Amino acid sequence: MSVTDKKISRFLSTSWMTSEHPLPWLLPASALMIVFGIYPLLYAIWLSLHRVPAGRRQMVFDPLFNWTKIFVDPNMIAALVNTFVYTFVALTLQMILGLSIALLLDTDRRGYSILRAIMTLPLVMPPAVTAMIFLLMLNGSFGVLAHGLFALGVLDPAQPPILANGSAPFSLTLLGETVKILPLAMMGVILADVWQWTPFMVLIMLAGLRSLPKEPFEAAAIDGANSWQMFVRLTLPMMSKVIAIALLIRGIDIFRMVDYIHVMTARGPGTATLTLPTYATQEAFTKGVFNYSSTIALVTLILIILTSTLFMKIFRVRL
Amino acid sequence: MQSRSSIFIRDTFAIAVVLLFMFPLFWWSLTSIKPDYAIFDKDGINWVNFEPTFDNYRVTVFGQSRLSEVEEKGFSVGNAGAGSYDSRQSLFDSIIIALGATLISVGVAVFASYALSRIPFRGRVSYLNWVLGQRFMPPVAIVVPLVLIYRDFGMRDVNNIFLGYLGLILIYALMNLPIVLLLMKSFFDDIPKDVDEAAMIDGATQWQAFWRIVLPMVKGGVAACAVLCFVFAWTEFLISLMLTTDIRTVPVKISTFVTSTGNEWGFISALGMAGVIPGFIFIILVQRHLVRGLTLGSLKE
Repeated sequence: MSVTDKKISRFLSTSWMTSEHPLPWLLPASALMIVFGIYPLLYAIWLSLHRVPAGRRQMVFDPLFNWTKIFVDPNMIAALVNTFVYTFVALTLQMILGLSIALLLDTDRRGYSILRAIMTLPLVMPPAVTAMIFLLMLNGSFGVLAHGLFALGVLDPAQPPILANGSAPFSLTLLGETVKILPLAMMGVILADVWQWTPFMVLIMLAGLRSLPKEPFEAAAIDGANSWQMFVRLTLPMMSKVIAIALLIRGIDIFRMVDYIHVMTARGPGTATLTLPTYATQEAFTKGVFNYSSTIALVTLILIILTSTLFMKIFRVRL
Repeated sequence: MQSRSSIFIRDTFAIAVVLLFMFPLFWWSLTSIKPDYAIFDKDGINWVNFEPTFDNYRVTVFGQSRLSEVEEKGFSVGNAGAGSYDSRQSLFDSIIIALGATLISVGVAVFASYALSRIPFRGRVSYLNWVLGQRFMPPVAIVVPLVLIYRDFGMRDVNNIFLGYLGLILIYALMNLPIVLLLMKSFFDDIPKDVDEAAMIDGATQWQAFWRIVLPMVKGGVAACAVLCFVFAWTEFLISLMLTTDIRTVPVKISTFVTSTGNEWGFISALGMAGVIPGFIFIILVQRHLVRGLTLGSLKE
């Protein structure tokens, strides 16, 4: 028997076709992840290295074209700033609100379980529907929220409606481009995001609070600590891992979110609500520039990976 | 230690906060039963000063044509656009696609997660990282190539409803895979390995131990995964918007009611309500596993 024959017979007789071997178990899932995950990702990389010359239909290999365009595209700066501002502001608000509401609802008294269940409802709504709800409520002529803000004097009815209003409290000049930080339209979008996803934070924080041991709090109470001291010295440190995981999961989701901006402001006015994923969407489906769109999408992916890896290293959590 | 008045203040405050949070939903459901004159009230916000009507639901969910509405009442509900507001097809499509995606991702992931939980092999950690890595992927990064891939394979807008369904179902199944896989793994990890080992000492194969003994023990977990999958596929917007124009799932259908001559808020809110009710029912059913599901099994309640 030759060496090859031995190898073949060993291959056939080993247990990879039996249920004791992991391969048959993993095969269907792996196939799905390769065909619909890896292959499109490689295709996206291939697209980013090609371009369609003017007046032609065939793509030509030009690896630097899109990757240099990224660095000189003024929209990219706006999109980059907007994406980070959107993620940071929405995440911070959701965290603060979520933790506060969780503390409020964290009790075993009767009726509170109903309140907690009601709080989870927004989580299962299509974000496109949430976007529509806020589009209606922020409408300048008959929106209930807009009218409320007029009555409070926060907004001026003579100004353009919130979602079409690009005026901003701050601005920043980057590489010769002036970028508005947090325009009104962006605040409207963030409002919808915060409304829908604060319940996520409430839910996770409640789970965290429930898992805390009772003894340290009893000891602190005997030592005469007030509730604020207990919150800062005991609750927060013991909850840090839970908080970090919640921030990570939500952060990634907000960073790549398209639905609210697409429905509520269509990335406008101007570039006021243009973010990286919405920019990629726009390039592909309103302009048909698939190559550049893929490049932007890949930049988004790289930034998500870099930011979350850094976050995971600093806070020592895993996704 | 807490006094009666401080308990009262807390209760009131808690109820007020939750009610305030639910206001958008209340307003949305109120809008869905308003006639147009109450929605577009130029005099201010119309809270209760209208005749409640189910016309918006009749047109969007039950497919009554607006023409027959005009003949019956002498006036038209809705004011803009010639597009079709009958959304029965969208509801049907959404249900088929969400069910299909749920079936495939749960069906595929249950096996993989069992192996990842029970069978030690080299590269197990790398495999888990690969699965987790999917979570970083912005949907737009795979949709753009997939549009081209589907076009090349003749799967995009070919007036073949089955191919259209399949195209969306497979992508949703993939997007759901990390959630189901990691969540199922955490449910399998909860069951001691002794259970399988005892079965295998009695002569069962790994497959029999899985199918006959362990899988029935995690029924609740499978149900929770299925619900999360269904909700995800039901609420997804970007992929179905970009990938196909033949099939409009409910979220995409709603966005088509925004017309250049005005938004049909009555119809939008009625279909919107129809689009959120299934999720509400399901989420109440799996409250217990919600935290674990949303954190991919890394936190347990």
